[in-house]
Amino acid sequence: MTEYSVVGKPLPRVDGIAKLTGQAKYTTDIVLPDMVYAKLLRSPHPHAKIISIDISKAEKLPGVEAVITGKDTFGIRYGFVDTPNYPAEERPLAEDKVRFVGEAVAAVAAVDPDIAEDALDLIEVEYDPLPAVFDPEEAMKDGAPQIHGEITRSTSCAWEDWGVARKSHSYTPVNNVASRVLISYGDIEKGFAEADYIREDRFWSPATSHMAMEPHAIVANYNPFTGKLDVWLNHMAYELKRYWLSKTLGIPIQKIRVHQTYIGGAFGGKAVIFDFEVIAGFLSRKLGRPVKIVLTREEVFSSCRNSIRFDTTVKTGVKKDGTIVAQDVKVIVDAGAYKGSAAVAMFLSHQFSEPCYNRRNVRHEGVAVYTNKNFGFAKRGHGAPQNRFAVDSQIDMICEDLGLDPVEVILKNLRKKGDVLPNGDKLESYGLPKCVQLAADAIDWKQKRGTQRDKNRGVGIGINGMFSGSGYWPFACAAIVRLNHDGTVTLMEGDCEFGQGADTTYSQIAAEELGLPLEDVNLISGDSELCPMNYSNFLSGGMFVGGGAVYYAAYDLRQKMLKVASELLKVGPEDLDMKNRSVFIKARPEKSLTFGEILRYSIQKHLGDPLIGIGYKKAVPEIEFYPSLSKGTGRFTDAYGLAAATAEVEVDRETGRVKVLKICIADDCGYEINPASIYGQMVSQAVMGMGDALLEEVIDEGGRVINPNLVDYEIPRAFDVPEIMVLNGCDYEPKGPFGGKEAGECARAAVIPAIANAIYDAVGVRVHRVPITPEKLLNALKGKEGRR
Amino acid sequence: MEIAKKILKVKVNGRPYEMLIKPKTTLLQLLRNDLGLTGAKQACMDNSCGACTVIVDKMAVKACSVLALQVNGREVTTVEGLASRDGKLHPLQQTFLDFHAFQCGFCTPGKLMSAKAMLDENLHPNEEDIRRDMEGNLCRCTGYKQYIDAIKAVAQKKEGAK
Repeated sequence: MTEYSVVGKPLPRVDGIAKLTGQAKYTTDIVLPDMVYAKLLRSPHPHAKIISIDISKAEKLPGVEAVITGKDTFGIRYGFVDTPNYPAEERPLAEDKVRFVGEAVAAVAAVDPDIAEDALDLIEVEYDPLPAVFDPEEAMKDGAPQIHGEITRSTSCAWEDWGVARKSHSYTPVNNVASRVLISYGDIEKGFAEADYIREDRFWSPATSHMAMEPHAIVANYNPFTGKLDVWLNHMAYELKRYWLSKTLGIPIQKIRVHQTYIGGAFGGKAVIFDFEVIAGFLSRKLGRPVKIVLTREEVFSSCRNSIRFDTTVKTGVKKDGTIVAQDVKVIVDAGAYKGSAAVAMFLSHQFSEPCYNRRNVRHEGVAVYTNKNFGFAKRGHGAPQNRFAVDSQIDMICEDLGLDPVEVILKNLRKKGDVLPNGDKLESYGLPKCVQLAADAIDWKQKRGTQRDKNRGVGIGINGMFSGSGYWPFACAAIVRLNHDGTVTLMEGDCEFGQGADTTYSQIAAEELGLPLEDVNLISGDSELCPMNYSNFLSGGMFVGGGAVYYAAYDLRQKMLKVASELLKVGPEDLDMKNRSVFIKARPEKSLTFGEILRYSIQKHLGDPLIGIGYKKAVPEIEFYPSLSKGTGRFTDAYGLAAATAEVEVDRETGRVKVLKICIADDCGYEINPASIYGQMVSQAVMGMGDALLEEVIDEGGRVINPNLVDYEIPRAFDVPEIMVLNGCDYEPKGPFGGKEAGECARAAVIPAIANAIYDAVGVRVHRVPITPEKLLNALKGKEGRR
Repeated sequence: MEIAKKILKVKVNGRPYEMLIKPKTTLLQLLRNDLGLTGAKQACMDNSCGACTVIVDKMAVKACSVLALQVNGREVTTVEGLASRDGKLHPLQQTFLDFHAFQCGFCTPGKLMSAKAMLDENLHPNEEDIRRDMEGNLCRCTGYKQYIDAIKAVAQKKEGAK
């Protein structure tokens, strides 16, 4: 294997100094001259007609600069899913009615945040409460309150700019159905007929908060003379936010600049456009002044996207030896008041299963249903955590029933390297078998499985697969690497640094390819005006797509530099190598040129040509338009990240409390560009998965979130962290930069069933609804596993 | 009704300040809005996350839950005061860097200040002491492990240096 000097090393992060000294600027830290502060008035009702809104008193409060309602923003629509068949239906401010507790109905801008807050109290809204529905099965029944009337398109469709010619049309949801998916292949009936054993089980996953440490925030600054809108905001790829700001505000896209800021955690939850972001832009344009909005933690919980509520029924047929021959999955998504990414999540819960097991005959049916609650979006794994909890719990149950070993059964059913999935995606790298083995060995599976019930201890396993990017239209990302006078380079790539380490790993890729030390890469990232197109950051496309674009840009510059050097040194480019800040003749390393000399020569001897490399990458180059989510056809990604997790737990039978003793994660991220970063991503997912399995749920009563703060919504703390082992299950990905692919999302979903299965191994009862709280586990132990 | 402003005298990162402030100003608002020291972060505003932790005299406090007037006459240290002015990192900062003990970095200033207060107070913390002491500093990215290891390493180095 090639010896690398920059990639593959646990180098310190390039954002370290800024973040450790307090100099790093986050959106919440941005202050502009003449700035005003806005606050949102939110609905106290889950479902109500708005009879009238009186803003006159609020407008008269000294210090108040503007008050707006749905009348001002009437007709503006946006949403993550916005297709010709399903136009977007979210709006910045409620118009005719409110559909969930927390929906914005008015906004106030004032010279200080306290005055804005006081002004909210002076706004008089008259509501006519309507019957509300909170349960998706109730909502689907005839006669249930209808949450949406006709959904019409009034803001231009996201796809139109990219040449999707189909005319969009309005539609009226029937029985509150927001969207459906139906994916099938093989012959499901025949598959079940061939099975020796069939089980059907039902599992639930609640809404959980991403709980990024930085609350959602924006600073928007509209310049009335240039017509330009500058924004600083929490995002996960600026093109999407910029696009929607442009569409909703009617400002040309190139007149909107997303500035680089650090982002205080995202985990999927900050990718979409939010009500308050459109409102900030709207108010800034109205006032010709900068407007800042920082949400309270309560607003983050009750009005921003949480993870998606899944109710999953899995029916699986196996042969006597555990070979899966058929799987029928029925998903009911409790979408909430707007559809969010429900359709995408239902599809992904299927597609992320595909690289895991070869299930032969499959049917996956999903329905997303509107209810009068806050709505959901992607959270680290988007659909996979909910599905893996269901499927891998059931595999464990089947093994128990048939007296089989789960690790052996999992290994038997895995896909194989080189397999082509039913949708056409090919598994060119596939470290999952190795991951399963590593994770099982690390937890001492053979010794511990099924042998520790007398001590109330047990071990369990789960697995997962995840796209290495797929993304939104148009699935592409670009990068530029510029050679500077002093022989350093400047890398321009749009991905934003939200903690995942993109700034560092991308710099490492460029440095390695160009034979430079890391400090010679100057980075410009996350700025929509300075960086080229960027869509790579979500669906785990960072490394594979964004990092890939960086690799190709550095490669392009390298080739250009070698060509110039070959003219100077009078040898062929193939006789040259590039290392330690110089280009040299392989056979005579003393004959060398510095990068500065190469740039100077290129400009002097040619037409003033600077040396600039450009690179670009698509998650799937063959795809021109978007594939079908509702049918699951079409290519989605060129590479899957894969992971297996095992856990060991101890249960206190008296209290129902579960103590996680150890979590082992083996991950296939293709190649560890920065092993310390990968380690951090895995520990992060181990702990977040532990929170999912045992602690976390956004609880609502009558549509109102009752735990919208960090005391009542518990996440793991320093003291809860168990022993964690991270194992390298990498299988080199031929299409990835230096072999790298997804790392940041996959493992979380494997940890949840690993813990749930370990609990079963420890005490012999199963809770079908995460989080597995002491109360639920005690109930289960008492032999009355309650459904709700 | 306008409430009269009060005089506050405080030393922040070694610099003396004398200013008029509204009595309800929190220490966090003072630092972030009046002094432009945005290292301490606002993440919960109800004393539950630790992202705003600073040191008052020798004690780690959550700046969102202390009134600025309560630190009258006292000495406040924020993350901005941790490194020396010539650009040399504090051992905690250097070790956090070496250990990849942060990701998004939003809660990091608070953690650094909690850790500093603990290490200044407790010369021989074991891992359990560290975990218990850092209980009030929530983190969503790191899973806590790398920074607990980093703090442990700083503690051991201090021990070794004695």
